[in-house]
Formats: sequence, structure tokens, C-alpha cells
Amino acid sequence: MLEYQIFFDYGPMILLGFWLTLKIVVCAIALGIPLGLFLALGRRSNFEIISFISTSFIELFRNTPFIIQVFLFYYVLPFYGLRLSAEYVGILALAAFGSAYFAEIIRAGIDAVPKGQLESARAIGMSDWQAMKNIILPQTISIVLPPLTNQTLTLIKESAVLSTITVHELTMTGLMVQGETFRPFEVFIMVALLYWALNETIATIMRKLEKKFSKDRKKTDTTKPRIKNLQRKGL
Amino acid sequence: MKSIFLEIKELNKKFGPINALKNVSLNISQGEVICIIGPSGCGKSTLLRAINWLTPPDSGMVKLEGKIIGSENGKLSIEQSKLLNDFRARMGMVFQQFNVWPHLNVLENVIKAQIVVAKRSREVAEPKAIKILSDVGLKDKIDEWPDNLSGGQKQRLAIARSLAMDPVLMLLDEPTSALDPELVGEVLSVLRNLVNEGMTMLIVTHELGFASKFGDRIVFMDGGEIIEEGAPNIILKSPKTDRLKLFLEKLDITSLKEKH
Amino acid sequence: MKFDISYTFDAIPRLLEGAFITIQVAILGFTLSVLLATIITIARTSLRSKILNFIIAFYISFIRGTPILVQIFLIYYVLPVFGLNLGPFTAGILAITLNSAAFVTEILRGGLASVPVGQFEAAKSLGISGFALWRKIILPQTFITSIPPLVNEFTMVLKATALLSLITVVELMRVSQQIYSANYHPVEVLSGTFIIYFLMCFVVSRSSAFLEKRLKVKRA
Repeated sequence: MLEYQIFFDYGPMILLGFWLTLKIVVCAIALGIPLGLFLALGRRSNFEIISFISTSFIELFRNTPFIIQVFLFYYVLPFYGLRLSAEYVGILALAAFGSAYFAEIIRAGIDAVPKGQLESARAIGMSDWQAMKNIILPQTISIVLPPLTNQTLTLIKESAVLSTITVHELTMTGLMVQGETFRPFEVFIMVALLYWALNETIATIMRKLEKKFSKDRKKTDTTKPRIKNLQRKGL
Repeated sequence: MKSIFLEIKELNKKFGPINALKNVSLNISQGEVICIIGPSGCGKSTLLRAINWLTPPDSGMVKLEGKIIGSENGKLSIEQSKLLNDFRARMGMVFQQFNVWPHLNVLENVIKAQIVVAKRSREVAEPKAIKILSDVGLKDKIDEWPDNLSGGQKQRLAIARSLAMDPVLMLLDEPTSALDPELVGEVLSVLRNLVNEGMTMLIVTHELGFASKFGDRIVFMDGGEIIEEGAPNIILKSPKTDRLKLFLEKLDITSLKEKH
Repeated sequence: MKFDISYTFDAIPRLLEGAFITIQVAILGFTLSVLLATIITIARTSLRSKILNFIIAFYISFIRGTPILVQIFLIYYVLPVFGLNLGPFTAGILAITLNSAAFVTEILRGGLASVPVGQFEAAKSLGISGFALWRKIILPQTFITSIPPLVNEFTMVLKATALLSLITVVELMRVSQQIYSANYHPVEVLSGTFIIYFLMCFVVSRSSAFLEKRLKVKRA
């Protein structure tokens, strides 16, 4: 039978873990997206060293399990004299992991902007960076938003791995409560439902935004030519 | 004899095995209008793009008012690439595909580079943009998004965007080729005004009517080389080479076909 | 402290043994998940049962919306409560299979959508139906168009196996932990482990184009 009492007794503690999960993910995204942008630009760079370093970073972090990245950060940082609390190590690891994926998303977004856009910006005298900032990147936002959201959902899920280095986020809290109560079913269902709810909420909001976005776009660019075509055909 | 304003000297460019430019040299004086004609893939677009280094030439050089644009060896130091940006700001470029910036409205399209590149304040840039937009007949469109403009309007916007930088030279790469026939006229009339104001221009075009009326010189290119050049009435009426004859015949046939 | 690479080299033979187990676990889990996903796909498409489709949609949403680590803990800790003592290895394989099957089902749905309706109709007009229709006509086309995402999913499974170290399955990650908890040189040992994981995943992810070519040639 379900032990309902656990939900009341340990609910607040679990929610506290959930709150830390949220904070960690938000920080990791705030760090990871700018880093991902630099990596994406670095990968496109004409300087071979910069492009090699960026590409290596991206491929290394995309092709290894997050858990080993976490352990490496956990042991390597103090090895080089950088002692941080587990939470900060976790944020850094999650940001590094996320940035590799963010970089590839941003790179694909940049590639999706027609080449003529960069050329016209360069031809009028903008530097490469000015053209990126003023002309290319603003146009990539609507392209990269859906995959960035998906990656955010991935980061939320991957943050569970931080429980292994004693970050007291949602999964760690679940493990602790399970250790005290020996009611794994109730505990892990509670934990899973919270992740699920967060995931679904974000996904639903983004789907709605996307729909609205594509509707707005249609209003501006696709209907008009269609009407024009009809007129041309004499309808 | 007028002094040389733009000097193009022995430009070469290869794309793989293809010679896009083969020892191309050309001298242009201030206020001259040069129309470049030739079959597609003959290197005429590459020539324009090599002048402002959008496509860096393999060798040769371009001088504007005696100063070298880019460098002489196809490579750029950091200092040279900064200078190149200054040169580019003074040479307006207009593309076949317009390349207006869809995320900025019409007014901002004309303001952006003034602020970012020319470092003008918005108070200076905005009235200037409005003035130029009304010159090209887009005054009532300043709040529109580029996606809502016709091809002809987009191209006029692209021209206005370049003019806002006070260019001393305009490079136009088939400015009317992507337009529906009924929209060509409005763009040509903007270009006509520029000619009358004395703007130095290099135009890659298929509009022989425009070229013969407003061009000071016509340059015929084929296979990356300049085959013939001279005054329009000489070039178009009595071509010396077979290649130019053949090209003009073909153009006549296709333009006849289009009319019927 | 200095990075002493001799600890990395000393660890390599044992790490490679661990890597071998990792590969076995990944292949086993992935194979089972593809089987399960195929069954789910066929059931979903041909039975058209509302209740069944609701359960499948619920299952996919739950798996995709929760961390695989929590899914592993759920199975590892909860099944014994219901009297099922599977042991870490079986529980781990089960968790990975259930997780990956949800993603593979979604991949197959995409692949299935790219099979033209005419293929179904043509087969039916020839008298091919039921199991033969799926086995001979539909599934081969579905799988071939799905190769790139399937290869990608396999790398996800490969990476996910590292989490099984947390429920004491002795694979690559667990082996490396055993080594450094004995010699106290985690940085050197983990670096070696990191490289081995990278090589495995990198090779697999690059094999996608190769596989596609091979299979397409075979068909032609």
C-alpha cells in the first residue's frame, strides 16, 4: 500500500531539493549559452588554433557521459588548486556539458541564415563580429529557440547526475529520504513526477510560443505573396 | 586626361581549376559609369567582389584614389582588415538578391550601418535615412518590414542602405536580374538619378538599353578576361570579336522571346 | 601534486576490460530496446486501440520527461519491494531498455511516416498482409531511413551505461572508480576513462554515414 504520510513528512524537503535543481539549471544555462556562443564562433574562426580548440571541446563533451565529466570536474578543479563547493562544481560541469550542445545548435542557426546576409553586412564595412552581432545572430534567434528549449529540458534531466557528487538537488534528496524511510516507490515517484511536471510545463509553454511565433511570421511573409500569385492568375 | 580614381591591376582569381579572373586590369575615372556585360560565369560578379575584397583576389591589386584596398598578396594583416572595412564603407555594394536585413524595418535597415560602422549618432542617422528613403521613393514604407516589400522596393531599399554611407563608388551586381519585368523600371530610374548626380559606378547588368544610354563605357568579359571595352555605341553596334557578336546575338534572341 | 601519466597507463588494461563490459551492456540494452520499440510500433499502428495508444503515449511522455538516473533508481529500488530481486545487472539492463525503447519508438514513428502510403496499398493488392507486410515491406524501409537517429540513440545508450555504476554494475565507470579508490589518483584514472568513452562514442557516431551507405548499396 502507498504510505501517504511520506508525502506530507518529506514533501517540503523534496521541494527544497527541487528548488536547488531549478537554481542549478538556471545558472548552468546562464553560463552555458554564452560559452556555447563563443564555442560556435570559435569553431567557425579562421584562426586554426581557436577553431581546433573549440571543435575539440565540443566533440569531447558531446561524446562522453555526463557522469564522467562531473567526476573529472570534481577531482580536477582541486587538483589545480580550485576548491569550490559541490554546488558550484555541479553548475560548472553542467554549463560545460550544455555549452557543447548549445554551440552546435547556434552553429546550425548561423548556417541557416542565408549567406548574402553576412556578405551584405561585410560589404557595407562591418567587421566580422559587428556583422554577427547586428545582422546574423538576431536572425538566428527564432531558428535556435526550439532546439535550445529541448537542450534545456535535457539539462534538467542530466542535473540528476549531480547527486553523485553530493549536490543536494532533487534526486539526492530523494535518495536521502529513501534511505530514511525505505519507501522507494513513494519517494522516487514523487521525485519523478516533479521532474516530469517541470518538463511538461516548459515544453507546453514553448509549443504555444512557437505556434504563436509561426503564426505571426505567416501573417507577415507567406500570405501576401500567395495573394499576389492569385491576383496574377486573375483570381 | 582625368586622373585615375579606381585602378584595377592584373587581378587573378581561381576557384579550383576555373579561372574566374585572368589578368583583369581596368582604370576608372571619377564620375564614370562602367557597365560590365558577359555570359553567366564569365567572372563579372567576381570582378566586383574582388574590388571590395568580398572575394579576395589571388594576386593583383585594386587602388582607390591611389591607396591599396586590402593588400597585394591576397592575405590581410589585422591592420589591413581594419582599413578594408573603411574602404568597404565608402564603396556601396548592391546585390542581385537584395540581401536586405529582414529582422530590421525599412528605416533601421538604412540606419544600422550608419551607427555601427560610421559611428554616427541616431540624431544624425535618422533624418539622413529618411531623406535618402524619400529620394528612392520609399518614404511611406519606413515602418514596413522588408518581407512585405516587393522586389523592386527591396532593391531600392538596398541601394538606399548603401547611399546612407556616403559612398564615393557604387558596385552593382545585376541589380535588376532577380526582379519581375514590371519592377525593373523603378530600380533603373533610381540608378539613373545616381548617374545624373555624378556617382562613379560599376554595374554588372543585362540591361543593354540602360547600358547604352547611361554607360560611359561597356566592358565585355568572357572566361575571366576582358575581351572588349569601349564606348557603348561602338561596342554594341560594331563588335570586333566573335565572342561578343555571339553574345549579343543570343541576348537579342532571348530578349525577343521574353517579349512575346 | 603533479599529473602522473604512468597511473593512466597502468590503469588501461583494466579499463579496457571495463569498456568491453560497457559495450556488451550497451549492445544488449539497445537490441532489446529496438525489439520492444518495434513491437510497440506495430501494435500502435495495426491494433488502433485507444486505450493501448494512451498507455504508450503516457509511457513515452514519462520516460522522456524524467531523468534516466531516476528511472534506474525506480527499477533498482522498487522492484524488490514487489518481491522481484533482479540484481543490479538485470535491473540496469531493464532500465536502459525501457528508457531507450521510448526514444526508439519515437524514431521509428518518424521513419514510418516517411514510408509512402502507396507501399502499404501495393503490398495489400499483391496479397501480402499482416506479419509478412511488416517484415518484408514496411520495417526494412523504416529502419533504413532511421539509421542516423538510431545510431545517435545508440551513443546515448552507450553514455547512459555509465550511470549503472551507481547501482554497482561493474562496467567502465565502476572499474575506474575501483582503481582510483585504491591508488588515490582519480584525475589520472578518470582522464584515461574519459578518453576511452570518447573514442567509443566518437567512432560510433561517425559510423552512421558508413552504415547508411552499406545498407543502401545492399538494397540496390
